[in-house]
Amino acid sequence: MEFSALLGAWVASFLTIGIFSYLYKDNPFYKIAEHLFVGVSAGYLLSLGFWTQLQPNLFGRLFPAKHYDPDTITYTIYNVLSFFSSSIFPEGGIDKGHDQHLIYLIPLILGIMMLMSLIPSFSWMARWGIAYVVGMAAGLKAYGYLNSNVIGQIKGTAVNIFDFSLPIFSLSSPSVFNNLIIFVGTICGLLYFYFSKEHKGLLGKASKIGIYFLMISFGASFGFAVMGRISLLIGRFTDLITFSGSDYNYATFWVLILIVGVLGYAAFQDKEKEIVSSDDSDVFTEEE
Amino acid sequence: MTNIEKVFLKIGSIDRRWIFIIIALVVVVPLLVPIGLPIRATDTSKSVYDAVEALPKGSKVLLSIEYSPSTKPENHPMAISMMRHLFRNNHKVYVTCLWPDGQFMAQDALNQVAVGEFDKKYGEDYVLLGYRPGGEAVVKGIVSNIRKLFSVDARQTKVDDIPMMDEITNFKDFDFLFSASAGYPGTIEWVQYAADPTGVPMSSGVTSIQVNEVMPYVQSGQMVGVLAGMPGAAEYESLIGQKGSATSGMDAQSVAHLVIVLFIVLGNISYFIDRKRSRKY
Repeated sequence: MEFSALLGAWVASFLTIGIFSYLYKDNPFYKIAEHLFVGVSAGYLLSLGFWTQLQPNLFGRLFPAKHYDPDTITYTIYNVLSFFSSSIFPEGGIDKGHDQHLIYLIPLILGIMMLMSLIPSFSWMARWGIAYVVGMAAGLKAYGYLNSNVIGQIKGTAVNIFDFSLPIFSLSSPSVFNNLIIFVGTICGLLYFYFSKEHKGLLGKASKIGIYFLMISFGASFGFAVMGRISLLIGRFTDLITFSGSDYNYATFWVLILIVGVLGYAAFQDKEKEIVSSDDSDVFTEEE
Repeated sequence: MTNIEKVFLKIGSIDRRWIFIIIALVVVVPLLVPIGLPIRATDTSKSVYDAVEALPKGSKVLLSIEYSPSTKPENHPMAISMMRHLFRNNHKVYVTCLWPDGQFMAQDALNQVAVGEFDKKYGEDYVLLGYRPGGEAVVKGIVSNIRKLFSVDARQTKVDDIPMMDEITNFKDFDFLFSASAGYPGTIEWVQYAADPTGVPMSSGVTSIQVNEVMPYVQSGQMVGVLAGMPGAAEYESLIGQKGSATSGMDAQSVAHLVIVLFIVLGNISYFIDRKRSRKY
């Protein structure tokens, strides 16, 4: 077995059992695993975002190799940047198949302005970049929600409850019963969120039926959440079982012994300290 | 108070760490000693299978990977089974990622299936376009002009030099979309910004926690079926006739669920006894 695979198994075992150790109580093994996860995730995200988007799609459009001309101002700046980092700005322009689009200077400037939030005296500049992102996201979301979640879902719930060509009852496929459930559930669920009139009489009864539909939905969500968590636990245990084999030098067992041993010893020490401190306080009380 | 009531009260006040140990045991034991409980495909999983089967040979399928190692046990078997099904039917597979970690998850699945099992040729049978940050903006970009967004693939090869990219300019050029999703951005964004506006059929494999969010799109016909969590992945493995990690995890899943249901029942009995007792005194 390759050394990297072996090392990976030991690190994975340590981090998994370190995270699980939180179920006993908060401890340094958990902290190490948690901090490593946050740090590595942030670093990976930053690096991938830069090399898959900023470098090819932003710099690649500002300084494309296709239009390289060292006599122009743009490429004079580029050559200065290239002097500092030839991997980001390779000699002769960035060859990612783009034409030159200087309009991409706007997102570059807005991006730099967003980073200005790190400097308190210039932090106001960040608002421009954030305003652009918020505006764009709001516009995109509004369209998506209206089209798919409002119109699409209204279409989906507009069922013919008197379509007797369908079977009267079927659990999973379309049936008169299922159409009736969709109809009643949607109307009553919506009425529950109608707050302009007090929920009394017919409205009260309908909204109560709506609550039951919502409760069933929450129950299903909870069931699926449990199922998801158990699936993830199965995944981790499958890996731990694999790493407990002789191929991986019994990584799981050794790491488990180490972590349980250290936590057990720490718990024992804590108990002794508690006994000593309670004895001290007894002496203090007697002296008083 | 009867002895039975005392037992239930004691169960109700048990240290939660004992419950963790019991759950760990009921998950580990079936993994070590498989029971082999039967797996029956649900209608939603069958719809996904039927949709892929109905595609004409050589169809262009966009496979979007939007999950990270944290949900690998649920999503990875789906992605692997879907790739097996697509390559077995000789479809062309275009892989994109909306999640940064999705790129190496996709690479891992492609190495196993496309290279290891089917000996498919990169650039002719499959391509990994890779990750682009931006969530729904990326989906919109793929819908309007994929070449503008992905001028190079994950290997930094220009898309103009990739033969299977010749006929692809935007989302409408694909025949089918499958999204293996663990959250935002993912399946819902594909429905909202790609499948609904263009009418290109799509299916999805989602984590269990997302099923309730995604199911309305399936029932309204905006999506063709869904693979729901690890059971969905196991069902798809049984449908394509190739068992994998999801199938082997299903025994543990079923036993753990039974134990959790038992805990909930016991906890409720204890709660009601305690409430009755506190009202009495």
